[in-house]
Amino acid sequence: MGACTKDISRFNDETKNSSNVAAETLFSNAVRNVVDGITTPNVNDNVFRFTVQHWGMATYEDEVQYDFSTRAIPERWWARMYRDVLADLKESARLVTADEKLDATAKANQLAMIDIMQVYTFQILVNTFGDVPYTEALDFNKPFPKYDDSKTVYLDLLTRLKADIAGLNDSGAGFIAAQDLIGQGSVSKWVIFANSLLVRMGMTIADEDDATAKSSFEAGDPKAISSSSDDIIFKYYGGSPNTNPIWVDIVQSGRLDYVSAKPLVNLLDSFVDPRLPLFYKPNSDGQWVGGIVGSVNTFSATARPSDKVAAPDFPAVLADYAEMEFYRAEAKERGYTVAGTAEEHYNKAITASIVSWGGTAASAATYLMRPEVAYTTATGTWKQKIGTQKWIALYNRPFEGWTELRRFDFPVLSLPVGAKSGFPNRLTYPGNEQQLNGTNYTDAASRMGDDKVEFKIFWDKF
Amino acid sequence: MFFSMLMLTGALAFSQAHTVSGTIKDAQGGAVPYATITEKGTKNATTADAKGNFSIKMKGNGDLMITATGFEANSVASSGDVVNVSLKTSTTELATVTVTTALGIQRNKNTLPYAAQQISGDEVSRARGANAASALSGKVSGLQIIQGNGIGGSTNVVIRGIKSLTGNNQALFVVDGVPINNANNNAINRTPPDQKRKDQTTGGGGYDYGNAAADINPDDIESINVLKGAAATAIYGSRGANGVIMITSKKAKRGLGITINSGIVESSIDKTTFPKYQKEYGAGYSDPYEKDGFFYFDVDGDGVKDLVTPTTEDASYGTKFDPNLLVYQWDAFDKTGPYYHTARPWVAAKNDPSTFYISPVSNNNSIMLDGVNDKGFFKLGYTRNDEKGVLPNSHVMKNIINFGAGYNIIDKLTATASVNYSKIDGKGRYGTGYNGRNVNQNFRQWYETNVDLKEQKEAYFRNQQNVTWNWSNPKDELNGLKPIYTDNYYWMVYQQYETDTRDRIFGNVSLNYKLNSWINVMGRISLDTYDELQEERIAKGSNIVSMYSRFNHGYTEKNYDLIANMDRNLTADINLKALAGVNLRRISENSMLALTNGGLIGPGVYSLGNSLNPINAPTETNTPRAVDGYFAGATLGYKEFLTLDGTIRRDRSSTLPEKNNAYNYYAISGSWVFSKNLQQADWLSSGKLRLNYATVGNDAPWGSILDVYNQPPPFGSAVLFSLPGTKNFSDLKPEYTKSKEIGLEMAFLKNRIGFDATFYHTNTTNQIIPVALSTATGFTSKFLNAGDIQNEGIELTVYGSPFKTREFSWDITVNWTRNRNKVLELFGDSKNLQLGSFQGGVSINATLGQPYGTIQGKTWGMIDPNDPTKIVPWDGSGEKLVKSNGRYYTTTTTNNVIGDVNPDWIGGIYNTVRYKGISLGFLIDIRSGGDLFSLDRYYGLATGVTVETTQLNDLGNPSRNTIADGGGVIMPGVTADGKPNAKRVENTYGTYGYAYNPNAAFIYDASYVKLRELVLSYALPQSWLTKTKIIKGAELSIIGRNLWIIHKNLPYSDPEENLSSGNIQGYQSGAYPTTRTIGANLKLKF
Repeated sequence: MGACTKDISRFNDETKNSSNVAAETLFSNAVRNVVDGITTPNVNDNVFRFTVQHWGMATYEDEVQYDFSTRAIPERWWARMYRDVLADLKESARLVTADEKLDATAKANQLAMIDIMQVYTFQILVNTFGDVPYTEALDFNKPFPKYDDSKTVYLDLLTRLKADIAGLNDSGAGFIAAQDLIGQGSVSKWVIFANSLLVRMGMTIADEDDATAKSSFEAGDPKAISSSSDDIIFKYYGGSPNTNPIWVDIVQSGRLDYVSAKPLVNLLDSFVDPRLPLFYKPNSDGQWVGGIVGSVNTFSATARPSDKVAAPDFPAVLADYAEMEFYRAEAKERGYTVAGTAEEHYNKAITASIVSWGGTAASAATYLMRPEVAYTTATGTWKQKIGTQKWIALYNRPFEGWTELRRFDFPVLSLPVGAKSGFPNRLTYPGNEQQLNGTNYTDAASRMGDDKVEFKIFWDKF
Repeated sequence: MFFSMLMLTGALAFSQAHTVSGTIKDAQGGAVPYATITEKGTKNATTADAKGNFSIKMKGNGDLMITATGFEANSVASSGDVVNVSLKTSTTELATVTVTTALGIQRNKNTLPYAAQQISGDEVSRARGANAASALSGKVSGLQIIQGNGIGGSTNVVIRGIKSLTGNNQALFVVDGVPINNANNNAINRTPPDQKRKDQTTGGGGYDYGNAAADINPDDIESINVLKGAAATAIYGSRGANGVIMITSKKAKRGLGITINSGIVESSIDKTTFPKYQKEYGAGYSDPYEKDGFFYFDVDGDGVKDLVTPTTEDASYGTKFDPNLLVYQWDAFDKTGPYYHTARPWVAAKNDPSTFYISPVSNNNSIMLDGVNDKGFFKLGYTRNDEKGVLPNSHVMKNIINFGAGYNIIDKLTATASVNYSKIDGKGRYGTGYNGRNVNQNFRQWYETNVDLKEQKEAYFRNQQNVTWNWSNPKDELNGLKPIYTDNYYWMVYQQYETDTRDRIFGNVSLNYKLNSWINVMGRISLDTYDELQEERIAKGSNIVSMYSRFNHGYTEKNYDLIANMDRNLTADINLKALAGVNLRRISENSMLALTNGGLIGPGVYSLGNSLNPINAPTETNTPRAVDGYFAGATLGYKEFLTLDGTIRRDRSSTLPEKNNAYNYYAISGSWVFSKNLQQADWLSSGKLRLNYATVGNDAPWGSILDVYNQPPPFGSAVLFSLPGTKNFSDLKPEYTKSKEIGLEMAFLKNRIGFDATFYHTNTTNQIIPVALSTATGFTSKFLNAGDIQNEGIELTVYGSPFKTREFSWDITVNWTRNRNKVLELFGDSKNLQLGSFQGGVSINATLGQPYGTIQGKTWGMIDPNDPTKIVPWDGSGEKLVKSNGRYYTTTTTNNVIGDVNPDWIGGIYNTVRYKGISLGFLIDIRSGGDLFSLDRYYGLATGVTVETTQLNDLGNPSRNTIADGGGVIMPGVTADGKPNAKRVENTYGTYGYAYNPNAAFIYDASYVKLRELVLSYALPQSWLTKTKIIKGAELSIIGRNLWIIHKNLPYSDPEENLSSGNIQGYQSGAYPTTRTIGANLKLKF
């Protein structure tokens, strides 16, 4: 019997799970999780298509009416970004740093790419919640991290991003193509992505910090996306479990939950926008009837997301040419240094959007001649003109759409029927942060006055 | 190895010897039933029958010792063939009851220095339930049993409260000294489509497969002794910290005996635990839809638009019923049905969902054979329990074979073996939680009151097609005639049932060698091994993606014990019993889960090969563990009234880091039978005081030291790995439970009444838990040593015999338990540990300074009494704040404590009334206090399914009328200015349910008083039976279980209904109604 007792610690040995993995596998997983997050329409995760009123719901109106707690959406969004994305990125960086065999240029490139994704993810968190844990985040030895001031975090993210851009060397290697789900092994693609992100992050804070916005835009613009072939897209596959999550919720689920929303349908309809049939398919009678936001809508009687959007391999877009051209138009209006006129950029943006959705250049040209579209004749200030068109072009990019809607304040959307609060300018902090990280939560909430959805993120001045 | 013992039975030859028979009577000449007659100096013994008759084959010519409960022992010479014995009622002692304590050691209850409550096997099996654990409810103080209403579902068995924050708190089951695995393997819901694993225990769907102690055969139980405190169980090691349910299997009786039980029971639902549907309004969500609350299009092709039920709308806030209104309903789109393209009157369904439940007849048969002679004993039993559920096509079959034998190889060496083989086959277990597989989710939450269940049944059975009431788009005949959310319920139970099977063997072989008159040494190898397969299906043509999954799980535990026992009188007054031993435990456990990907290719074939897309790699686990224990114990007795008891144990566990993997713990206890010192007080029959202190160490869950990565399925050609959500810790230390206990046992009036009271106090400290971190750390939790839970409580058992004559007797036992639980420390500054979060936005938590199991969520607001400009969360007594729109103000915070799952007290009243051969036993089971959150009410009241949503308003008008038409309701409360709310709001979708009310509105008191068991038995007179010459005993019983819920505060549901066993209780979603069973059983002895 005594012989049996010699070494019992071997019983604890892992035989089914790996304790040594390659850095790029964690990187790929993080990229996939963040892209799934911004792409999915699942009512448990990403409800921003309702917030921007591109989609409505047939029957279950809670999230459309701004009830985000019944399904604990803040908790899931927060956990996805910190735990399923940022933690894996940090671990990936640790493994890259520790890899002594890795070529120095490749190592620098890989670390820069990982950091770009961290910056990308953190700006999502700041733009969602406001103050968030940053300096003390991602450290299991600091179980209850403090919340940092959102503007300080944001400016640090910009600094990091600029350093990352400086660290990228497109004559060297990055991650291998199969594991690089954004650049497919091309470092130059990452240079474009990082500069486009710099443009976006800079312009986002233009109302709050014009100087930083200007310098960031001007630094990023030359190397940012300059044609649709530069678009940063994420490819999904036709088969489970690697399909676009929209297909999972719309087609595979067999449910008929998601319908179009009147504000966008009616606007597209009145502008005779060629993207209407590309964004939506008509109701059972062939009519483009938009759903009432916040109200029960009869599915068969309402237009709904198009088959194109619901295709299993429909790609996700992280940044595209149309978006960049809108930034250039805006930069011009703000007096930043940029070639061309605001109108030229505006026209290029709209054309790029229509063409990339499957419309023709000719239909785009016709569209641009409509008085309510043409830059010179469209209603309102440049904010209203660009804001309205950008709101259309950011269809199916609900998170960016929400940011731009908060920033431009155009188009003006009515509250949904049965709204449980005012327009959500942010999400409240997760329920488990309230329970667990009470002291820091209370500090952050009191800095904002209260932990309410109506409170504006620091850059949202108007 | 076990089966080699089978050969020993062949050697059982019944030698002829001197036989003594006789009758045992009391001082008044009445029969003393079931006395034990022992041949002094031997193990040769027998038991008298109910009439006091006995017969014993003598080994020698020694004296006979006769003992019986409540009587003084008597010793008589065995000269002659007939010996009649008279026994005196015991007056000065507790009844001489031997109880089985840890490691199977028999001890005299008189001197036991810790709390233990023994009940007989008959008390467990007489109501003929299939699960021995459930049958303990209300019968033992300190023991809380929670059982759900699903067929073959799990039973939550907790002794003296929750001790471990996140670990296992279930009592340890031990059968004949061998620990039996009681794992609940339900934890994962395997239903895609999102592939994310959801937890069955937190309402994520899936099936309750029950826990493994259900494999114990109730008919093979001689007695159950519940060892409640750590002092009694410390010698079992870590697993004893939660208390031990010690089961002693039936011992063979002298001679050859055969016992047959045959019973049938009919089950049906208790309608007080099922919704009462409103019959005034039909399908819809308070929306006009296309016309007057209906879809509106041409159904029959006559060019005129028709009214069509909004089939997609799983709510009943629609149009008022009107028999004159003709509407095309779901059946107008069923081509094979009698109402195809036919409009029907708009009326409430004749057959509501309660008609979905059936009243099946289940049967239970068992046969037990046993025999004993000088050289050994054997027993062989077979039980077949065929249990049918109240849901159609649900069924759990248990086949259990028990075998046990012993043989005296030489005088000093005895070999014994026992083997139990069980096979459990389940089919169609009930789906649970907030999930479409749970039919009750619809019946309670999302339903159209115009749907007639009987018509749905006919629609399914016409062609076995998924003809649902919930067409996704009736306008679109080509693509829209499929379910949007809800399948036909008959399709669900007949086409996509789960199946499961578990094959299990447990048993042991042992050799016992008597070294001399006071030392014996026992070596034992025991085995508990099972393999199970759980298969789940979703049929092609259902509303969600078709699927097949298989989960294979194997568990094997081996225990190697070597124990030396001594028992010696050191002086005439001092007795020393001591033991020392070693226990090596080896567990291997592995599992594999595989499922189809993206649907099935063809219908009806449930195999991995039928997967539409190539399957992802199965999920495998392999989690072996080992614990080596060394232990010793001693009991010093002085003149049978002072007892001092001590045990120590040292464990080494493989799950802890090597440097911290050994830990010691001990227990010390004493008892004083003070009645021995108070013999002049003749009102006092006996009295005993007990005192003890114990510590028990515990190891870590498997795999909590080393960090590994998770592996999601690859994304195309990209390999993916991810950090797990829980950070492990390489420096874990053992956790400890410390417990103190003081007890008093007294009996009065010649043992006619008495009580046993215990006060206990336990602290579980340094707990090994995955403490919850802010997810901003990148982890959800991290293993650490932290936390302290305190449990304090009182257990009281009072028994008495208000009437006792020769022909009539009434015995009553009352058990009462009050446990107070408090979370004293969590981790660092953290004030809350979330145990589970649920649909509806509520969570169950361990909150600092509060009892374990707080329910948190949104609550009402009220005006701050200190500052009328502020709104604070409702304090439970103030006026609820109503907003200017007439609806309640609801907090935005979700961390308000709105309930506590712990009962104030639980109790049972157990009565047995006997008159001649007739006996009536009944058990009233009580739970007082404790809360639950009902998702059924949260949604069901919102969707307008139940009668409350159609009540008349304060004006006496139907509240669902528009306000303009005299309807609407006023929410009781005050407005911001402190004045009573007078604003009338429309009674539309959500008015009473979740949409306009906080979580706190759906917290209910979970108290109940239940008539749990009733057994009326008639023992056929012995005089009739003797004529048959074969039958020695015959008893006919009428049995009933869960007959009547005498009192409850939760509408339309059973407050005891739960999702599963485990630490998370207090949440109901899609609760199943109580199953009431009534039946008969015939017991024959040959």
